[in-house]
Order: sequence, then C-alpha cells, then structure tokens
Amino acid sequence: MGGLINREYSQKLYVQLYELLKGKIESGEWKVDTQIPTEEDLCKIYEISKATVRLAISEMVRQGYLRRQQGKGTFVCKRVIPEGLSMLTSFKELMLEAGVVFETKVLAQTVMMPTDEINLKLDVHDDAHVIYLKRLRLVDNEPVLLQETYIPHHVCPQLLSDDLEHNSLLELLEAKHNIKITKVKGYIGIAYLSADEASLLELREDSAALLIEQFYYSGETQIQYTRSIKQPERFRFFIELDRSQ
Amino acid sequence: MSQSKNVTDLMMDVFQFPHIPYWFSIKQAMGVTKKSLLTDEKCIRPLAILVFDEKYNLVGTLSLKDILKGLEPKFMKPTTKAQVPAQDEAGLSLLWDSLFDEKSKELSEKQISEVMVPAKVFVDPNDPIAKAAYLMIHNDLVLLPVLENKKKLVGVVRLVEIFDEISNIILKG
Repeated sequence: MGGLINREYSQKLYVQLYELLKGKIESGEWKVDTQIPTEEDLCKIYEISKATVRLAISEMVRQGYLRRQQGKGTFVCKRVIPEGLSMLTSFKELMLEAGVVFETKVLAQTVMMPTDEINLKLDVHDDAHVIYLKRLRLVDNEPVLLQETYIPHHVCPQLLSDDLEHNSLLELLEAKHNIKITKVKGYIGIAYLSADEASLLELREDSAALLIEQFYYSGETQIQYTRSIKQPERFRFFIELDRSQ
Repeated sequence: MSQSKNVTDLMMDVFQFPHIPYWFSIKQAMGVTKKSLLTDEKCIRPLAILVFDEKYNLVGTLSLKDILKGLEPKFMKPTTKAQVPAQDEAGLSLLWDSLFDEKSKELSEKQISEVMVPAKVFVDPNDPIAKAAYLMIHNDLVLLPVLENKKKLVGVVRLVEIFDEISNIILKG
C-alpha cells in the first residue's frame, strides 16, 4: 500500500495522497461504507506528516468521497460522483439554443460581507468574507441575463484574479481549482426588477422577470449561491422525463 | 529607529477586517459593524471596515465615527464660512436628538462612498516602519493600506503595532 508518494515530484504531497485515496475508491478497492485507515495509520503507511494526511482527507470529505463520523472514523461515501457528470447549470446550457453566441460583462468581482440574508442563502456565518460576482450576459448585444454569485472567500480565493469574461465560472471551479460541484438545487420564480436591475436588463422598473436561485454544493458543503434574473421572453425551459432505463 | 524591520513585519492580514463595496448603504455598513466588529468573540482593533470597488481595489476605510457623521443632518455640520459660537453648536446637538429617528433613518440609505475616508495614502511592504508611522500620524489614519507594486493590497498597518515598535525602542534605550 505504501511507497507511492514521491517526494521528488513537484506535486504537493497532500495532492498526491488525495489522488491515491481517490483511486482506491473509484477502483472499488475501498467499498462504500467501509472505514478507511486512521490518520495515524496513513501517516505510517505513506511516511508523511499528520498535517498532510488531514489536508488530503479534508479535501476528500469536501469533494464527497468520504464522510467523517464523530468518534467512529472516516468512511467511504455512498455517493461517488463520476468524472464528467453533466448538469444543466451553465449559462450556455440554460440558453437551450444551439449556436447562440453570448458575451459576458463582469460588473463586479470583489469581496463583501454577507448582508441581507445572503449568509442564510450561502449557509455561512454573517462575519464570513464572501466573493461577490455580478455578471451581465448579452446575446446579439442585448442584455438577457443578470447573475449575482456569492462564494465564501475561503472556498476559492483565486477567483478574484480569474478572467470571468472569457471563462465559465463552473469550468474554473472544477477544472482549474479542482472544486467539484456535486449537487445544484434550483428554484424558479418571478422577480420584480429593482431600478438597477431594470436599467441593466433594459426593462422597466418593477416589471416581472424570471428568477432562478441556485445553491451549489461540493460534497456536503455549500459553496455557491447564484441569483439569476432573466429576460422572460428570451428563455424556455426543457425538461425530459425518461422511464426507459 | 528600528533599521531591521519594515512594513511587512508589522502588517496584518486584510481579512481580519470586514469588507464592503462602496455602494453599500450606511444602514448596511451598520449591520456589518454590529455583526463583524461589535461581537464578544472578536476584539479586533481599530473598529474599521475596508471599502472596495467592483474590481477589489481598496477605495477607503470606514470607522464608527465616519458612520455616525453620515447620519448627521446637513444643517448640523459646521461650515467654514459661518462663525458659530461654541455654545450654539452644543445647542444644535439637542435638535439632532429630536431628529434622530426620522431624519437619520432617511440618511442611513446614503451610500458609504459619501462618508468613508478615501484611501489615498499607502505604503509598500518593503517601506521602513518610520514611513508608515509618519503617514499615519500626519494623515490621521486608523489603518494604512499596504500595496504591492502600488496595486495589489497585501495587508494593513495599524497604529498599535507602530506604537508598540517605537515604544520598544524608546523604553529599551
């Protein structure tokens, strides 16, 4: 079991351990609900420090591979998310029109404290720092979607310097920062536009628009809350229910 | 003065302080102050909030005094032109007392960009402590931003650390 961590590699030790343990779960060597070796055992097996083991385990818990049970140990989770799981969450997919070319304007990419119940929506303490992103999406130069996104700063501080005009937020989180989105809860409703929202979407103040609230999870941890307001005329939703499988 | 130490040795992590964007209202800033600064668990000093723009550039700081000043009705503020006797100023404050409920609530919707202290003075992490001390004293600052390459905010300097450093030298000398 040991001897697979290579100190000569440039890759950090905890990342190497993370990959090793993930491999054991994905290959079925560690079955669902089985208890994994203790931190002390992993230290001995891989000849690494406890801090390194803790980092790797925490990351696996956050990604939904493992769960900690107080006083009992750490276990393999039932829900292992396979690579490449697609979810209808990105702007491109929500447009539901093939070939639509859209442009993104980043109106804000900053940090704030979670006021006005954002702490409840994001499930963080009200004194936690939160990354705030405000993006306007345009199709054929017409504003069609206004998105406000809140992410706890500690989840991905690097997002503050990422290029969000030319990259999808989800792709950045998953591919660049290795934060796997495992679940998205969405609520669809109606919003009445504030003066600022109306001006950005080029609609009348207090007019009705489509509101989508999305709660993103990585493992058991909520990592993002997005409030999207859409021009109602530009969207239609597609739901497919298939009982054949 | 301490030749070996520079700003980077004294500066604090900016995330010790609450962050808000400049478009927040005074009312929102008051809420942040109560939840992030006036709690039993935290006793970070000075009681100040950092104010940022849309691109996460520091644009100002906000102290309790700045917030309260923002709630003051316009006619209460002394003008440079009028020669108002000192006793009249005290009398005016009684008027503010009666207006506190209505007028101040209205004023609390004002953007904090109108009441913050703009961040115009800053130091580099490699600057000597003496420079930070000079700038803080002469600009009456509660926090001094530390910018790397004149752009990236990497920390803040507080007067307490400056005082501590200088007093060590004086008392030991």
